[in-house]
Amino acid sequence: MKTRFFRPFRPLDPHWSPLLTIGSFLLPLLLWAAFSYIPWLWHPYVKITDPGSLTFLQKNMLMKKADFNSANQKAIVEGKTPAKGIPANPIFLPAPHEVAIAFYKAFTTPPRRPGEPWLHESLWHSIQIIFWGFFYSSLIGLPLGILCGVYPPIARLTEPVIDFIRYMPAPAFGALAVAILGIYDAPKIAIIFIGTFFQQVLVIANTTRNVEYNLIEAALTLGTSQRQLLSRVVIPAIAPNLYQDMRILLGWAWTYLIVAEYIGASSGITFFINQQAKYRIYDNVYVAIIMIGIIGFVTDRVLDDLGKALFPWHFRDSRSIIGSFYNWLKPNYVPRNFPIRVPSSK
Amino acid sequence: MSSSPLPSYLEQSPEVAARFARIQQRPITLTVQNLSKTFTAPNTPPRLTLDNISFHVHHREFLCVLGPSGCGKSTLIRIIAGLEQASSGSVLLYNKPVQSPGPERGMVFQNYSLFPWLTVKENVMFGRTIAGIPDFLAEAEARQWLSLVGLADYENAYPHQLSGGMKQRVAIARALANKPRILLMDEPFAALDAQTRAQMQDYLLELWRKVDLTILFITHDFDEAIYLSDRILVLSANPGRIAEIIQNPVPRPRNRQQFTSPPFLATYNRLQELIHPVSLLQNPSNLSNIPRLTHTTDQVE
Repeated sequence: MKTRFFRPFRPLDPHWSPLLTIGSFLLPLLLWAAFSYIPWLWHPYVKITDPGSLTFLQKNMLMKKADFNSANQKAIVEGKTPAKGIPANPIFLPAPHEVAIAFYKAFTTPPRRPGEPWLHESLWHSIQIIFWGFFYSSLIGLPLGILCGVYPPIARLTEPVIDFIRYMPAPAFGALAVAILGIYDAPKIAIIFIGTFFQQVLVIANTTRNVEYNLIEAALTLGTSQRQLLSRVVIPAIAPNLYQDMRILLGWAWTYLIVAEYIGASSGITFFINQQAKYRIYDNVYVAIIMIGIIGFVTDRVLDDLGKALFPWHFRDSRSIIGSFYNWLKPNYVPRNFPIRVPSSK
Repeated sequence: MSSSPLPSYLEQSPEVAARFARIQQRPITLTVQNLSKTFTAPNTPPRLTLDNISFHVHHREFLCVLGPSGCGKSTLIRIIAGLEQASSGSVLLYNKPVQSPGPERGMVFQNYSLFPWLTVKENVMFGRTIAGIPDFLAEAEARQWLSLVGLADYENAYPHQLSGGMKQRVAIARALANKPRILLMDEPFAALDAQTRAQMQDYLLELWRKVDLTILFITHDFDEAIYLSDRILVLSANPGRIAEIIQNPVPRPRNRQQFTSPPFLATYNRLQELIHPVSLLQNPSNLSNIPRLTHTTDQVE
């Protein structure tokens, strides 16, 4: 029987899935490669290979196509040797292979000026800013959100003002943050905190509110007290959804990174990007941007996989690499958290 | 109310009558007195769901509450469980009024309500560990309850790995682990398929016979009510009132051959009369507004 590829809402054939995942990265890469390597596609500049008799030209110089043609025509009219060149893209669009080379070089070449951070140092600094911003936000936001979800009076007392502040863009607090916290890392962490916290409380409160009330009732009829209800029922019941929320919120925190790092003394990956742009090494700018993407993507994949290992009852029948690895490390471990085999009925 | 006169159309054999006499000798487990419940919602007039309900359940009795949908039978059991507050009247368990949920009234829900993050064994242990019983004791108890409901092999499975009937057995074991004075069952088998439901009914009867259980069982299924119960409390709808409390004349032990026995059919007919006073088919005007959409020669009957 012919299986149709486009079936609305039906799950994808499993052996198509990895191919399409690769394809989703390959597609933009191909587009980029096409613009970089096919000479008649865009290429608004000419890269001089031989200046000929035109003294104002130098080898490897970039020149607008129209200017190059008119200069050459003038040279021909005057009986001089015209310059030669090949079509080129502007300097801010390096070709994929140039960025690939830069990827290697960016981690191995020392910074241009002494005292400037290496790429990996810049990235590490940025990761720390994100971590602390998200950590402090979660430290307050997670319990507050859960309490808001469970107790309507607390929600009434806090949510309206949080809704109000939530609409103020986090970078708007930049000047204040610097005035209060100085110019180094503290105001940056504060911006990440402001950008994450208010959304976090509301998202977590909402998730908590959506707890299956059946389970609460079942727990009450089993003799659960109000105090036990929170720790024994509510939190375990919403834990998988909370975990997913936190994953999404962490992604959210990353989007505030660049703005946060502009505040006060520019630092981290933002400083690196700006510095490289000033040196007109755009290859490195791409490297830095792609590195942010890679860090975010890898973190998210790892957290996703870890979630499947931690909450097997929620992510039913999905395999977790971390979970399998853990089971492999501890072969005598009594399966509790990871999918177990149900004995066949007699 | 305790010894309502026996309706003439439901004749009890001497053995059944003797059984009921024995039941009435036993202590009263649950008393419901003049219970009423009015629901108020904005923009709608207050709705009287339960109107002056009074009855009681003796120790080791199996009482079924039967009624049409919307008669408030779920509200009734939820008030007894303490999950909802009555507007007036009271619920007494061994003469002590109940207001909030408690482990002495075990509840089994239609949708199982098992904790998905706990294994089968941990679900059954839940009530005991909440009560502060040490884990190793709760675990040993849970294993016993699980073997009683025939799920000893599944103690490490998660609820989502079980079938509906198995889930409901875990839910029963979980409620029983608290050793409740009364087991409240809110249409527990309604979500199961017919075969599984029949099995679960037999299973519940067996459990009730062997374990010290007093059961209040809500259902809308006539056969189920007659097959399981000692008495059937029939509720009428809008507002929910007690239409009748029938002393079930079908002798025990029950078996499925009794479905066609005279006492069973007599009870069935009486329930029909009480719950469906006018059948749709008895009054053809109810059906005549469907026009014929097929050719007149199309004879399906």
